[in-house]
Amino acid sequence: MSSSSAPAAEPAALRPRRLLLAAGGTLIVLTYLLLVILQPTELAGGMGSVAALVSLIGFLGGGALLVAGILPMLSTSSLVVMPLGIALNIAIGQLAGSLGLQIYLDAIGTVLVAVLAGPAAGAATGAISNAIWGLFNPFALPFAAGAALIGLLAGLAAKHGLFRRVYTAAGAGLVTGAIGGLVAAPVAVFMFGAAGTPGTNAIIAVFRSLGDKLLLAATKQGLLSDSLDKIVVFVLVALIVHALPQRAVRQFPFARTQRVIGGRGGGRSAARGNDAGTA
Amino acid sequence: MPRRRIYNPVTELLTAALLVVLVLVVNRWEFSLGVLVLGVLPAVLFSGRARRIGLALALVTGPLLISSLLLHGLFFPEGERILLDLGIARVSVEGLVFAAVLGVRTSVFAGVLLTTAMTLDIAELLATMTHRGWNRKLVFVIGSAVGLIPHVALRGQQITRAQQARGFVVGRGPFTRLRGLLAVTTPLVIGLLVDASERNHMLEARGFSATVARTSYVPDSDTAGQRVFRRLLVLGVGLCCAVWLIVTVPG
Repeated sequence: MSSSSAPAAEPAALRPRRLLLAAGGTLIVLTYLLLVILQPTELAGGMGSVAALVSLIGFLGGGALLVAGILPMLSTSSLVVMPLGIALNIAIGQLAGSLGLQIYLDAIGTVLVAVLAGPAAGAATGAISNAIWGLFNPFALPFAAGAALIGLLAGLAAKHGLFRRVYTAAGAGLVTGAIGGLVAAPVAVFMFGAAGTPGTNAIIAVFRSLGDKLLLAATKQGLLSDSLDKIVVFVLVALIVHALPQRAVRQFPFARTQRVIGGRGGGRSAARGNDAGTA
Repeated sequence: MPRRRIYNPVTELLTAALLVVLVLVVNRWEFSLGVLVLGVLPAVLFSGRARRIGLALALVTGPLLISSLLLHGLFFPEGERILLDLGIARVSVEGLVFAAVLGVRTSVFAGVLLTTAMTLDIAELLATMTHRGWNRKLVFVIGSAVGLIPHVALRGQQITRAQQARGFVVGRGPFTRLRGLLAVTTPLVIGLLVDASERNHMLEARGFSATVARTSYVPDSDTAGQRVFRRLLVLGVGLCCAVWLIVTVPG
């Protein structure tokens, strides 16, 4: 997550953090592999209690280890924007519901923090956001690792300049949504039997009526819904960031040094879908 | 009236989490139902916020349970005992049982966590985290986010009203709705970033990034007895889970 230097020059204080990051990432990957590739036989028709437990502890524990590794390395400017991202996730998610939108939009804050403060801050925001949201809606809790992954991928997309143009942001959203959908599907299946909103359930029902197993049906639904959701979220965040005053963007070292919205910063040109300036 | 607090929030959260783990491991509808009736229900009733928690539980779990019943009740290709054939949809006994068992488990999961969360004293939780030496950045992010959520929601409503006063109308089409969302979100984010910038300067001026230990002005409500209780609880539940899995999981 942090790009640095030769191991010999690595400060001793960084090692435990990197160990935590490696442990968190490994736990999440192993959990996913155990759930999806090995596919415990009990899941085909049964309840999958061990799978549910593995899903909860693996993804939640992995997310917690990632947060523990990331937080100490974040600057104050990154930290102050994280609560904002978390609050936005929850508030806009609710607003989207009240406007009758058919997508979740509950990752806007995570993606915004990732674009402004970097992949590490984005990943931590995603994980903590779902943990806090779990206080109001316990069903958000097991998806913490998936939310962290969304933040990480959004930050990497910003680092590689994909938020400089709206259509590249949409492409990054498509890829991120597909990966997020793949990661979220086993959690949804093993924890809650893939039950969700009427819209997502209708998609799963179509695949189930064609004879797909529950995990496969939920994965296909995740690929469809999450991709669409993240395309919208990434485009919205790109439009928001380009509409921000240059001063607001420049207060974040990551956004400044990586030139996440190009050379000119603010302005309305990018909001129309065109160039925002490329240095 | 809120109940009198007996345990520290960390103890309550841990107990709730371990109860969820136990329900997942045992995975019998009888056990889940027992926890729901003998554990969750009395906790809600004696919480002093029974109506609020009951409403929240109904709003959070109700749609999910109905979704689960419709999905698995009508579309369960693994089902063999068919009760009703509706063409593409078939009501099967196995699907209904699957939906029912998952429904009870999901209700316990939501009930336990929501009851704990809605009776939790966040300020006390944060103070305990500080006293126990948790990462102060994590404590700041959690405390700040919990405080910001109602503020952001209120500001969002104010901006929506201000935009409506200037002729902002949300149409039926998805693009119109997204444009409406953007009209509210952009000023909301700009305002919040300005606030964040000021907070950044204030925190830096007060030595937030310094590495020395913090002093909490809120007294520590955690006791040595509760810390021992927590350790014993983790150990006990861990042992129970291990024994249960060894005895029940075949092979």
